[in-house]
Amino acid sequence: MEDRQLQVLLEQAEVQRRLGNHRTAIGLVQRALALDPDHARAHAALAFSLLGARRLPGAGLEARIALSLDGGDDYIHYVAAAVMMAERKLEDAWSHVLVALEADNTSAEAYVLGATIQVLRGQKAKARELLTEALEQNAMHCGALTELARLELHAGNRAAAAEHIALALKADPVDHDAHVVAGYIELAAGNDRTAEDHARFVLNQDATDEAGLKLFTAVKAKRSLVLGLWWRWNMWISMRDERRQIGLLIGTFVLMRMLIIVTDELGYEMISKVLSYGWLGFCAYTWFAPEMFKRWLKQELGSVKLDPEF
Amino acid sequence: MSYQIADEPHETSLGAYVVRPGVPMMAAMVAGSWLSWPWFAFNAIAMGSPTKKKEIALVIAAFVGTAVLGATVIALVDGGYLPDGVPMRFAILGIATFKLGMTYYLFVVQERTFHVYQYYGGAVRNAAPVLSAGYWLRGLVLALSDDPLWIIIVAGGVVIASGM
Repeated sequence: MEDRQLQVLLEQAEVQRRLGNHRTAIGLVQRALALDPDHARAHAALAFSLLGARRLPGAGLEARIALSLDGGDDYIHYVAAAVMMAERKLEDAWSHVLVALEADNTSAEAYVLGATIQVLRGQKAKARELLTEALEQNAMHCGALTELARLELHAGNRAAAAEHIALALKADPVDHDAHVVAGYIELAAGNDRTAEDHARFVLNQDATDEAGLKLFTAVKAKRSLVLGLWWRWNMWISMRDERRQIGLLIGTFVLMRMLIIVTDELGYEMISKVLSYGWLGFCAYTWFAPEMFKRWLKQELGSVKLDPEF
Repeated sequence: MSYQIADEPHETSLGAYVVRPGVPMMAAMVAGSWLSWPWFAFNAIAMGSPTKKKEIALVIAAFVGTAVLGATVIALVDGGYLPDGVPMRFAILGIATFKLGMTYYLFVVQERTFHVYQYYGGAVRNAAPVLSAGYWLRGLVLALSDDPLWIIIVAGGVVIASGM
C-alpha cells in the first residue's frame, strides 16, 4: 500500500516537474521520501526538481545520494549527468551519460543531454552526431530538434535553425526551450517583436523560467545601450562556474590596481587617475545596473501579455 | 511528515534580522571588515543556514589570514626587505585582494542559502540604518588602535588598496 502511494507521489511529481511547477514537485517527492528515505529513484527525482528550481547544492547532494543507493539505474545516471552538467563538472556528467546510454541506447533524452554536454565542452561535431542519433530514435524529438536549431544558429545558419525549430514547435507547441531558441532566431533576424512574443509565451506559462527571462531581457537590452551592456557582461560572466567567476572578478580588480600603481609610480598621474575613475565608474555601474534592471523587469513582467496575432 | 532537504535553512528565533548577503558585502566597502565579516556570520546563524559552520569558518579564516598576511608584510617592511613604492604597494594589494576574495566567497556561499530562504518566503530586513551607522562608526573603529596591523585587519579591502 505504502509502495503504491509512493509511486503515485513520484508520478504526480514528474507531471508537475514537466509542467515547470518545481515547488509542487519538490513537495510531492519530499512526501514520498518521508515514506521511504532510501528510495533511490525518489532521491533522483528530488534532484531533478531541485535542479529545475535552480537549487543546485541541494540537487547535487540528492543526485549523489541516489547514486550511492543504486548505481545501476540508468535514470539515476541520467539525472546525475544533468545535475553535474549544471555544476559544470562536464567530464563526470559525460561519464554518467555514457553509463545511461550503455543501459539504454534507445533513449533520445540521454543523447540530447550528451549533446548539450558536448556543446559545453566545445565538441560541436560530437554534439551533432549525438543529436542525429537522438533523431534516429525519434525523428520528431522536440529536444533534439531544438538543440540542433541552437547549434545551427550559433554556426550562423539561420535558415537551417529556423527549419529545425519549426519542426520542434510542431512536435511540441508549448515546449519552453523551443520557444526560447525560436525567439533567439527571430532576434538574430531582427524580428524583435516576434522574439518578444516567444519570451512572453514562456513567461506566461512560468514567470520564473530563467531561459525565458534571459530571452526577454535580451530583447529589451537590444533596445537600451546602458542595460544592454550590463546584460551582456552578466551573460558572459554567468557562463562560468562560481570559482571562475570569482577568479575573473578578483583578477580584473588586481590587474586594474596594478596598472594604477605602476602608472602612478612611473609618474603618469593622469593615466593613473583616469584608470581609477574608470574603475570606480565600472564598480558603480555594475552595482546599480542590476537593481535598475530588476525594477524595470518587474514592471515589464507585470504587463506580460501576448500579441493577439501570435 | 516531510523529508528535510539538506540545502533548506532551519527556522531560528533571529529570522527577523536576516539581510540580503549583498548587504554585508557592501558593508565591507563602506565600513570595513570589522562590520562585514561578523555580519556574514550573524546572517548565517539568523537564516538557519545549513552551511553556517562553513560560513563561520570562512569568517575566522578571513580574520586569521588577514592578520598573518598583514603581520608578514609589516615584518618585511620593518626588516627592510620590502622597499617603498611599487613593491610595498603590491604587497598591500595582495592583502586587499585576499580580503575582497574572502568577502566575495562568503557572499557567494551565503547567497545560495538565501535563495532557498527566500524561496520559502523568509523575511528580509532593511539594513540601511546599520550600514549608515557602520559608515559613521568606521573612523572610530579604525582609531581604536595606532597599530598598522589593526588597520589592515578592520579596514575595507578597497580602502586598503587605494589608501596605502
